[in-house]
Amino acid sequence: MALIELKDVSKLYGFGDATNVALDEVTLTIEKGECVAVMGPSGCGKSTLMNVIGLLDHPSHGDYYLNGRRSARLGSSQRAKLRRDKIGFIFQSFNLLGRLTAIDNVALPLLYKGKSPLARHKIARAMLERVGLHDRTYYYPHQLSGGQTQCVAIARALVNDPEIIIADEPTGNLDTESSRLVMELLAEIHKSGNTVLFVTHNPELTRYATRVMYMQDGMIKHDEQKPLGVVGRYAHTVIYGEPESHEDDDIAGVSALMKARERNEPAEKPARKTTKRRKTTKKRGGTK
Amino acid sequence: MNISNGNLRLAYESIRTTKFRSTLTMLGIIIGVVAVILVVCIGEGVKRQIGQQVVRYGDNVVVVRPLSEHRGILGGDSVPVGAAAPLTLKDIETVRRLPAVAAAVPLSSVSGSIKGDRQVNTPLVIATTPEFATFIKPQLKYGGFFEASQDANQVVLGSKIVSDLYNDSMPLGQTLSYRGQEFLVAGVFKNFNAPPLSIESNFNNAVFIPYDTVRNLTGVEPSIYEVLVRAKPGTNMPAFARSVQATLVQSHGGAEDVAVSAAGKTGSGTDQTLRLLTLLTMAAAVIAFVVGGVGIMNMMFVTVTERIHEIGIRKAIGATNRQILKQFIAEAFVISCLGAVYGVVAAFAGIGLLRLYTSLQPIVVWPIVIIAPLVAIASGVLFGSIPAIKAARKDPIQALRHE
Repeated sequence: MALIELKDVSKLYGFGDATNVALDEVTLTIEKGECVAVMGPSGCGKSTLMNVIGLLDHPSHGDYYLNGRRSARLGSSQRAKLRRDKIGFIFQSFNLLGRLTAIDNVALPLLYKGKSPLARHKIARAMLERVGLHDRTYYYPHQLSGGQTQCVAIARALVNDPEIIIADEPTGNLDTESSRLVMELLAEIHKSGNTVLFVTHNPELTRYATRVMYMQDGMIKHDEQKPLGVVGRYAHTVIYGEPESHEDDDIAGVSALMKARERNEPAEKPARKTTKRRKTTKKRGGTK
Repeated sequence: MNISNGNLRLAYESIRTTKFRSTLTMLGIIIGVVAVILVVCIGEGVKRQIGQQVVRYGDNVVVVRPLSEHRGILGGDSVPVGAAAPLTLKDIETVRRLPAVAAAVPLSSVSGSIKGDRQVNTPLVIATTPEFATFIKPQLKYGGFFEASQDANQVVLGSKIVSDLYNDSMPLGQTLSYRGQEFLVAGVFKNFNAPPLSIESNFNNAVFIPYDTVRNLTGVEPSIYEVLVRAKPGTNMPAFARSVQATLVQSHGGAEDVAVSAAGKTGSGTDQTLRLLTLLTMAAAVIAFVVGGVGIMNMMFVTVTERIHEIGIRKAIGATNRQILKQFIAEAFVISCLGAVYGVVAAFAGIGLLRLYTSLQPIVVWPIVIIAPLVAIASGVLFGSIPAIKAARKDPIQALRHE
């Protein structure tokens, strides 16, 4: 029995002519113990897919089986409980509560599970130790570096011992060194038996995955099984973002259309990649 | 509902970190609690003070007053001014002949300035007969009441006017001049309970002077504004009052120009005032609680809007709607409780200050001291629940996207 099974899952936003298809009949099976990297341009439905798998969102159509249990139409409190017990979320923007210390943030899911304060403290402390932040136990998020903050978030995701870790661009806001730290941590979690799903725009990070999926327009275009430590075959050819005009282009008089045509040409020059990634980062809020 | 399990502590933390906003919210509750407690306690105090007037004369005394009088406005020193003066010494004689009557004395206000060590221009001079002393509960502090003799140039002073007239706090044996005559201070009364919101004259400011002396001095009969009639022990008071009334009406040739009331009921207007005051209290209390509740609701709405993102995070990591609801209700509960406690403290401070600096003597009414904060907490939680429900129903995705 597969851990995650999606059958013709669609997610639509809006009505009538304004309907926006975020997921277009996605059928997908993820086995226990996989580490899946999801790539694709902004707005291709990666985040929506994560939200549906993570039970944050209902699919509009189709079925979703989590651990063989039909989960697409569960009520909000059942979904909340499944999120609490089975799924750990890691976000690009960390999403820690600024008013709570690192340990209180980590202990929060335990609070919702109804653990005693003592047990919460003990487990949360152990988790912080596991992510290497035991000396930052009582720091507030604003006192931590980006990498440390994300590690606290990872500790929080792990604290209920979930089967699935879902990370939506976990390194999107981090520098290279912190990214590596966070990804090593995820790899370690994967090694200890968890199923990990992560969204990334960085082809290099697909090295940590056993499977790479490329999405576009709400569909999975390629689904590739690969050994650990190898960059995905199509990772460098993912098209980021819709054609858009850029300040530099306007100054140079290059039209957006020309730019788009240029980009659609098969051979991507590595030198251009940095600029494009910057654009993607800028657009991150709009991912649907 | 179980709102413990860290929710209260989280709520307290949340309130502590947003002190200013929480204080504003609390203010509504505090004002509500203070308003209710103070108004009820003051009302009760006034009631008690008015009750003490019965004690002033004793409960076997009825008061006869002319009906066509112009009453003074509520207040201490004013004396009802008899306009038509239907009460005369003859009436007193008539009343005295009733078998159940033990004693009857006239009270009459006369004008004229008084000079002791200092001059008092518009004193309250009450002309009465020596028997008046037997009607009065507070005994004399010094000396004695004047004796029954026509040419007695003696006065008895209220406790407060002493300091207006004399440098000495015990002016026994000193003299004062009134209408060109020298009077000897025979006695000084102990302090009378000065009732606020009462049409009673304040005897503390009064100079008591023998009725006959004044009559001889002015050559006319001073107009009587009030006759006190004491019944013999064991008399049925309502029936007694009726018989006094009937006797007087008969002797006035059938004119219903006097009113007889039990001494405790002298301020019938005051009773009505008190009833209105109680109603006013109730209205003020309800308004205060509603305002406090709406204040909490507004603040909770602001809190919810400000924290949509936080709600999203909490839901993403597994908080159920019910748990979010509990958290926000816990916050409303803690804010209301703190507000209620501060409110009770402030109300006690207010009662203390009123006792110290005004003639109001608020009485701590324990039931309201307990009920007011409980109602405040209940309304706080009730009004806090509405935004809490709104918070709990937020869609996690939309909440997470909200910055």
